[in-house]
Amino acid sequence: MDIAIKDGKIVEKVNVKKAEVIDASGMILMPGGVDIHCHIAGAEVNSGRLLRPEDHFKDVEVKTALTRSGVGYSIPSTFTTGYRYSRMGYTTVMNPSMPPLEARHTHEELDDTPMVDKATYPLLGDWWFVLEHLRDGLIQECAAHVAWMMSATKGYAIKIVNPGGLEAWGFGRNVENLDDPVPHFNITPREILRGLCKVNKLLNMPHTIHVHTNNLGRPGNYLTALETMKCVEDLAEEGRPAIHITHCQFCAFKGSDWRSMSSGAEEIAKYVNHHDHVTLDMGQVIFTDTTTMTADGPFQYGLYNLTGNKWVNHDVETETSSGIVPFRYKRKSAVHATQWSIGLELALLIKDPWKIYMTTDHPNGGPFTAYPKIIAWLISRVARKKTMNKISKRARQKSLLPSIDRELSFYEIAIVTRAGQAKALNLAQKGHLGIGADADVAVYNVNPEQVDPSKKYKTVRKAFKRAAYTIKGGEIVVKDGQIVKPVFGKTFWVNVKTLLPMEVNEDLRLKFREYWTVEYENYPIPDSFLHAPAPIPVKAEV
Amino acid sequence: MLQPQSQLRQRFNILITLYPKRSFRVPVEAECISPDVFAEKPVKHIAMLQIWEGNRKRNLEDLFKIKHETKSSSEKSIIRICGDVSKVRKIGAKMSMGNIIVEGDAGMHLGEEMNGGGITVTGNADSWTGSMMKNGTIEVKGNAGDYIGASYRGSNQGMSGGKIIIHGNAGYEVGCFMRKGLIKVHGDIGLFAGIHMRNGTIFIQGNSGGRAGAQMINGKIVVCGYIPSILPTFTIDDIRPKVEVNGEKIEGPFYRFVGDLADGGDGKLFVSKTKNPHLSSYEQYL
Amino acid sequence: MTVITGVTCPVCGTFCDDIELVVKGNAIIDVRKACAMGAAKFLNYATHRNLKPLVRKNGELVKASIDEAVGKAAKILADATYPILYGWSNTSCEAIRVGLELAEEVGGVIDNTSTICHGPSILSVQDVGIASCTLGQLRHRADLVFYWASNPWDSHPRHIERYTMFSEGRFQKSAWRGYLSRLRAVLSRKRLLRAANLLLRRDVLAAPEIERHLPYSMFQKKRKMVVVDVRKTRTAEAADYFLQVEPNKDYELLQAFRMLVRDEELDVDEVAGIPVEVLEEVADIMVGCELGIFFFGLGLTMSEGKLRNVDAALNLTRDLNQRTKFLIMPMRGHFNVTGADVVFTWQTGYPYAVDFSRGYPRYNPGETSVIDLLHRDEADASLIVASDPVAHFPRMAAQNLVKNPLIAIDPEVTPTTLMADVVFPSAFVGIEAEGTAYRMDHVPLPLKKIVEPPKTCLPDKEILQRILHKVRKLRRNET
Repeated sequence: MDIAIKDGKIVEKVNVKKAEVIDASGMILMPGGVDIHCHIAGAEVNSGRLLRPEDHFKDVEVKTALTRSGVGYSIPSTFTTGYRYSRMGYTTVMNPSMPPLEARHTHEELDDTPMVDKATYPLLGDWWFVLEHLRDGLIQECAAHVAWMMSATKGYAIKIVNPGGLEAWGFGRNVENLDDPVPHFNITPREILRGLCKVNKLLNMPHTIHVHTNNLGRPGNYLTALETMKCVEDLAEEGRPAIHITHCQFCAFKGSDWRSMSSGAEEIAKYVNHHDHVTLDMGQVIFTDTTTMTADGPFQYGLYNLTGNKWVNHDVETETSSGIVPFRYKRKSAVHATQWSIGLELALLIKDPWKIYMTTDHPNGGPFTAYPKIIAWLISRVARKKTMNKISKRARQKSLLPSIDRELSFYEIAIVTRAGQAKALNLAQKGHLGIGADADVAVYNVNPEQVDPSKKYKTVRKAFKRAAYTIKGGEIVVKDGQIVKPVFGKTFWVNVKTLLPMEVNEDLRLKFREYWTVEYENYPIPDSFLHAPAPIPVKAEV
Repeated sequence: MLQPQSQLRQRFNILITLYPKRSFRVPVEAECISPDVFAEKPVKHIAMLQIWEGNRKRNLEDLFKIKHETKSSSEKSIIRICGDVSKVRKIGAKMSMGNIIVEGDAGMHLGEEMNGGGITVTGNADSWTGSMMKNGTIEVKGNAGDYIGASYRGSNQGMSGGKIIIHGNAGYEVGCFMRKGLIKVHGDIGLFAGIHMRNGTIFIQGNSGGRAGAQMINGKIVVCGYIPSILPTFTIDDIRPKVEVNGEKIEGPFYRFVGDLADGGDGKLFVSKTKNPHLSSYEQYL
Repeated sequence: MTVITGVTCPVCGTFCDDIELVVKGNAIIDVRKACAMGAAKFLNYATHRNLKPLVRKNGELVKASIDEAVGKAAKILADATYPILYGWSNTSCEAIRVGLELAEEVGGVIDNTSTICHGPSILSVQDVGIASCTLGQLRHRADLVFYWASNPWDSHPRHIERYTMFSEGRFQKSAWRGYLSRLRAVLSRKRLLRAANLLLRRDVLAAPEIERHLPYSMFQKKRKMVVVDVRKTRTAEAADYFLQVEPNKDYELLQAFRMLVRDEELDVDEVAGIPVEVLEEVADIMVGCELGIFFFGLGLTMSEGKLRNVDAALNLTRDLNQRTKFLIMPMRGHFNVTGADVVFTWQTGYPYAVDFSRGYPRYNPGETSVIDLLHRDEADASLIVASDPVAHFPRMAAQNLVKNPLIAIDPEVTPTTLMADVVFPSAFVGIEAEGTAYRMDHVPLPLKKIVEPPKTCLPDKEILQRILHKVRKLRRNET
């Protein structure tokens, strides 16, 4: 079948005589890749870059006539990030963690990330206004404030990380479970999650609340993940997702300590298979030296205690926190190998590929350049077995993978790497090749009719590593894994139109100096700040 | 493991001499000057090896006169550099075999990440000599700069094997994040010798500027000369009549300190008793 | 006459954004809420400025057109084998982005003022990491504030009132009352001394204050400030407690504290000239606070030990987090030096001293930092933006700097512009040109355009873009 492109969109047909023709016969055609969760821009990512010159000096990108120079490996510089995504056929990436006070920084970096369309999620789960409003039961006021924040920071979705835990970390503490009250604020994580879920609905946000659960990285935390999914079950509308649990591998641990730690993927998969209000992404681990960075300050401090590696902490007033620790996942470590297994188990045990997406929570589980490797594991039992033979024996014995025969088809890969993510984000023009879609297309040099992915996973891996063609907005930007035309994408953000904008402004203005150390007028990002803004108007019910 | 070709080369000693054609002002990056890179290349290919002078790409022959001699000898391939190459960096970087002799001063990063073979400098060497070294020997007849045998910025992987011998003085933070291996300084040394050391041995025949062994976790530092003070996070352990360095017994007596306790370290700092009478107050704790 | 509020002050790292300016026509006639430095800049910025591009001909600087200046500057940079591009801390992030592109295009070394200031702090952060926060966290929560080797009274005048001792937070109250009573005591002591000197007509020296024990106020539950310095500064006089450290012994003191906060004993009786019993009490205070903060300045980065002093301070902060919540923050000097680090890092992966000579970014302070580079006389051309190295660099570095072709982009006449071969007059960012800059705690804020610049003074960003454009044109013609 043929795909016709005109003016950056997919159309019914074009005049073949006047058009540029790409012969993709014998290759796979997919919509451009969509990554729902990758830390590529902003304060925490940049602190990570600064922290690790030793991560950069062996992985460099030389300047060419068309491209800027840069460095990798686990936290590439901005230009390198854009080029490397594009070379793999990706065209849309979402930066999941933006401290609202430093939103300008995130957008400056996104503007310097070429080749892809992007968006970012402001961290709102510990914002004092959210905590106070929800504690007092003022859902409408909370929604109005969140709407203001979305516009002020040019954000796309409500991001929640360790709800309540980050405020507790302001004084060095944490929350233990969903009903553990946040010190000084008298509200529980459960109330924060439910409250923001309701707010999300009232504002008609395109994406659901995007949640990094409490108790991340602790043995036994699969129960917290299940509780988190259950606590908003009753708020879901028929058949539509109400919550997205991100990098689920990190919250799927069974066991009571590191010795007894094992996979909770089966229980989580069982729940997800029977409920339609949840979407997840994998957070797959690769055996490599990478960098962990999240807004979960207390968790990152815990990682420092575990490893003794260098540790960066950055608490943001009134809003959130963050932490960075370099981390090496070792094949022979029973815990790390179990983590590797968990990510794949989740992807394979959850039957509907529209519910679970492929990510590494870049760079937490590994750099995004490892995606082709993960695709190989998903499509081939043999690939999994080969890696299994090299990992810790204890982990191999505990792993569920040997009993899983399932291999994802190319069609399912397209869902977990693009279509599913676009749908969860409600980006109507992304993730598909129907008429009216943005002309973001990836062509991979592997023939699905001749190549058996199960056996020839190495061929598939190679093909997905260097796209034969990447087309962005109707232009050929990558050919044979090389950038042939540098372009810059747009930044999506949700422009929420509430019914009463003025009241919110007054309330915030009065309280601003009390809460923050910056002036009210200097906080919101003006529309002109972004190089290529693409606001998505949304009408709220508040 | 030896292939027939290398055996052939062993019989016919490859000797290349490089003469810098002029004095250099901007930095020259010469990681191509290495026995591994020169191996199995005819001279006309060696002449075309890429070398950087500032931001200009040059050929080796643009900057050096290259003389090639073949002698029969049992020694492995040798590269000789005659002249002032104090601005030429990365000589011998990553080499794993053969010898380099610098008859003059050598530039920064000499023998960086070296994995075997040997480098000798008749003049002075600069900073980062032998940084991240894994094996081999570097001998400097003159002085050396700072960060000898150290790691790269942000990394804790310093020298992990091999030997560095400096006949003159050495600078600051020598052996920073060292993991294994031996550094010997016959002259004086600057501040922070062995800072963040994980293991290995640093031997200083002359005086130390101070703060030796700062934040060390393990390893051995021996100071045969004067040291102005010992860090407060070290504790005195013993007085030893001798200490062993690389199989050799060095005559003391030495105060033996253990530290750095602030980092939970168990490294040993040996300091000459006779050259440091001001440290006698520590004896009350024995 | 209009009043403009919410103006960000383009002077120091405190980066106050609540300044109010009274503007009449195209002139600023009054400044409210700013400290002396900020007021001086807003009111007097135009006093010594350059209005025309200059080019050196036959040894003299003569007026030239902007195109001629751009042409000469571009040629200097395109021909250079190892040019340096230095400064950047007093201009906007937008200009810095162009500067990086230019440095990459000409294959030079780009460096900012961190190299003479908190560069050592960055080097240590790269080895240890850093437990830090935004300044509001301290205003709300900090009850123990250390100013170590830093004198904000002089260098960051509004720091204490905006973020620490005299600010009101959600969980901590301002400590201005305690300060006033302390001030009264200090002033009356000084008055008595002056009176004694006048009456007795000879110099009666102040009795040396050997405080063997901490004052009672240090054990109360309220905001406390401790100053650690080699001499008693104005900030020290305002502090609840002053710890006088022997010069060049901060490293020993910090390492000793690391053991004391873990309740371990030292073998020695005193460290850095301070008896260990005093240090043990201070360690108790550190461990017993709700949230503590170390602010540190050039006293650590530029005294003996340099980056290792900061290394020890970062480690001490990290160790303290086992017992309580403790954070640390460098007192950055220029209003956008943090921004320069941030932009360098996101585009190149490295915060300063970035070498593009081989076509990709390389980083090794000591090798690629401008002072060291100039000492070894390796550069053969330079572009200086928003900085005055001829006045501030060590003499050898300055000498080697001016013997090469030198391009200066600066609004004012400075020793650097007087020695330059090409001078571009630029607009003052934050007054005549807008942009973005980063506060010392990495919070980005907008710089406002208050008045119009003279027609001949372009914003830094635009001047750099023109030079970059011309360099590319020259390169294309060559090939």
